Amino acid sequence: MNKKTTVILSVVLAASLALTACGSSDDKSDKTTTEGGKEKVKLTLWHNYSGDDQRAKTMRSLIEQFEKDHPDITLDVQAIPPDGYRTRLKTVAAANEMPDLFVMWPGVMTKEFQAGNLIQPINGLLDSKKEWKDGFLPGSFDGFTIGTDIYSAPIALSPTSILFYNKSLFEQNNLEVPKTWDDMMHAVEVFKSKKITPISLGNKAAWPAQSSILSSLADRVTGTEWFLNAATQGGAKFTDPAFIQSLQYLKDLGDAGAFQSGFNSLDNTQAEQYFAQGKAAMMIDGGWALTNIASTASTEAMAQMGATVLPSTPGGKGDPNTLAGVVGTGLGMSAKVTGAKKDAAYEVMYALAGPDAQKRVLESNQLVSYKVDLDKSKVTPIFAEVYELVNNVKRTPVYDGVLSSAAADEVNNGLQELLMGGSPESIAKKIQSAVEKK
Amino acid sequence: MTSASRTKAFIAVGLLPALLLFVLFVILPIIWSAYYGFFDWKGIGAATFIGFDNYTEVVKDPIFWTSLKNNMLIVIASVFGQVPIALVLALLLVKNSRLHTFIRSAVFMPMVLSSVVVGIIWGYIYHPEIGILNFLLDGIGLGSWKKEWLSDPDVSMYSLMVPIIWNYIGPYLIMFIAALNNIPSEMDDAAKIDGAEGSRKLFSVTLPLVWDTIKVAVVLCISGSLKAFDLIYVMTGGGPAHSTELLASYMYNNTFSIYRYGYGSAVSTVIIIISLLLVAGSQYLMKRGDRL
Repeated sequence: MNKKTTVILSVVLAASLALTACGSSDDKSDKTTTEGGKEKVKLTLWHNYSGDDQRAKTMRSLIEQFEKDHPDITLDVQAIPPDGYRTRLKTVAAANEMPDLFVMWPGVMTKEFQAGNLIQPINGLLDSKKEWKDGFLPGSFDGFTIGTDIYSAPIALSPTSILFYNKSLFEQNNLEVPKTWDDMMHAVEVFKSKKITPISLGNKAAWPAQSSILSSLADRVTGTEWFLNAATQGGAKFTDPAFIQSLQYLKDLGDAGAFQSGFNSLDNTQAEQYFAQGKAAMMIDGGWALTNIASTASTEAMAQMGATVLPSTPGGKGDPNTLAGVVGTGLGMSAKVTGAKKDAAYEVMYALAGPDAQKRVLESNQLVSYKVDLDKSKVTPIFAEVYELVNNVKRTPVYDGVLSSAAADEVNNGLQELLMGGSPESIAKKIQSAVEKK
Repeated sequence: MTSASRTKAFIAVGLLPALLLFVLFVILPIIWSAYYGFFDWKGIGAATFIGFDNYTEVVKDPIFWTSLKNNMLIVIASVFGQVPIALVLALLLVKNSRLHTFIRSAVFMPMVLSSVVVGIIWGYIYHPEIGILNFLLDGIGLGSWKKEWLSDPDVSMYSLMVPIIWNYIGPYLIMFIAALNNIPSEMDDAAKIDGAEGSRKLFSVTLPLVWDTIKVAVVLCISGSLKAFDLIYVMTGGGPAHSTELLASYMYNNTFSIYRYGYGSAVSTVIIIISLLLVAGSQYLMKRGDRL
């Protein structure tokens, strides 16, 4: 090889090496100095308040307000669409590149992050503001607590299985809102014969049937204790007759034609609109429906809506006056945040989950797990009704808030199969083996 | 140094940057992914080495076989749908008249749209309540043919094939038109002198001359169909109850919905092996076709 080619070769090689080196260089300049010499703190913040609903708008305005009030703190905010948020977060978690602050779920996610040493407790902040900490509803921190360490303060409360109903459709057909399972099946039959969809369901994403219907329905049949035992495999199994019976109830609903055609290919929002347009008599959905309804449904439509709990089942072991629900998301803090950044992060947390923020979130038709008196003139009537309901009934666990991701996925797909004609026994078996595998 | 070896050296230098990038961003990740397949890893925390357990689980999982079967349906539909339709259209639309150009752009149009948009459009066409398809069937008195196109497991795979074929005809059409335009006009003249016309000319002159392009199209079609993901993800998400699961969506759901990164990596390695086997198999079959 002559000299010229050797030179070209080595230049190209060096260039490509330099290029690859650029890609992997780790640029972590968090602190920049302002002209005055005062240290400016920069924090990254990831959230999923990117939608057009009122809660998302409120959260974004709280963040903007914080930036205005704190010129010494720069927030590098990333708003990520809700559907892809969990995946994005889990992906950066796998690479150990968490943002400084991020919206985080209680329960399984908090446990996984803690086990991976990715987050740090915020006891310091909570203890310094005693009044604030005491303002949270009982059990608010349970899902965020490991040992004595608390990892976040919730900014939302999500009952998952509210039975919404259309008052005028019930009146027109001389029906009472169902209190027992037999009432329910009767109502389904009557609506069906009048060509009105009895229950609106959008189960394309597979979690709605599990989170909204089964979590409460199964609790009616088996009782809460059984479920918690089955989830930890402590003396109860998903193949127990009681659980198979609850699957059977759901299957009966499906077989009776309670849901609109093609419900397994509709998404949750479409089902909510379907109900809001008065095409369905009932809808079993979570608190998140309220903020969607508030921004899309007409005033007349909202005046027709009522909310209650799922009916009781014959001989069921669970308390029928309950709603399945979870404490919602809060901000988590990366374990890497220290010093001045940590103080700034505490301030952001307080600004977004403090008493004022909780009040504003509640007024945007989003339930919170914090004692706030609701000014009913600021929210929709159906929200006020749900607010009353939630404050008067007990909360029971939601299946995917307790089960591992893999087991919850098995339940989700199993319910789709069940509603397409699958057998309760074989689906119960699959769920049991997924829980065992863990 | 001879000029031949100098040219070779120059080619090597020219290829080097592309080769480096290819190794870095394609070959290495494949090797890494195969390696991660040996671990039980949730994405967070420590990974435990479990040997071939993930790979044996893939083979034993009935859902994997459902997705393989569904994916083979897509491959067959694409190879025998996209390629022949594109070829016929190319033969019909090869002239540069205004009408032909217009139809050509119309066929290519879906390629310009994002696949999410295409998925949503077809989702609405198939919509069980307000879908145009069911509405049309009602309108022409075929109400009994109405179906839940995307959630009835008996028809959903076939419903999904239509947009997949429709969406990807465009690029093959362009390839075939380019190939047809590359046939030297002497060939046409020679065929004319020999009296070959119509179907005789098509099968003895035109098709043999574009055969290499068809082979390339088939390979692209197979590897493209095995990667099929976006349209299905938007329209059904692989559901209901895994009935429209494809290999890629099966891998995605395991990795990113239930966070089994190790298992997902094993699945992707298996997908690569299946793709290589299929592409090699099709090449072998078509080579034999050459000799006949």
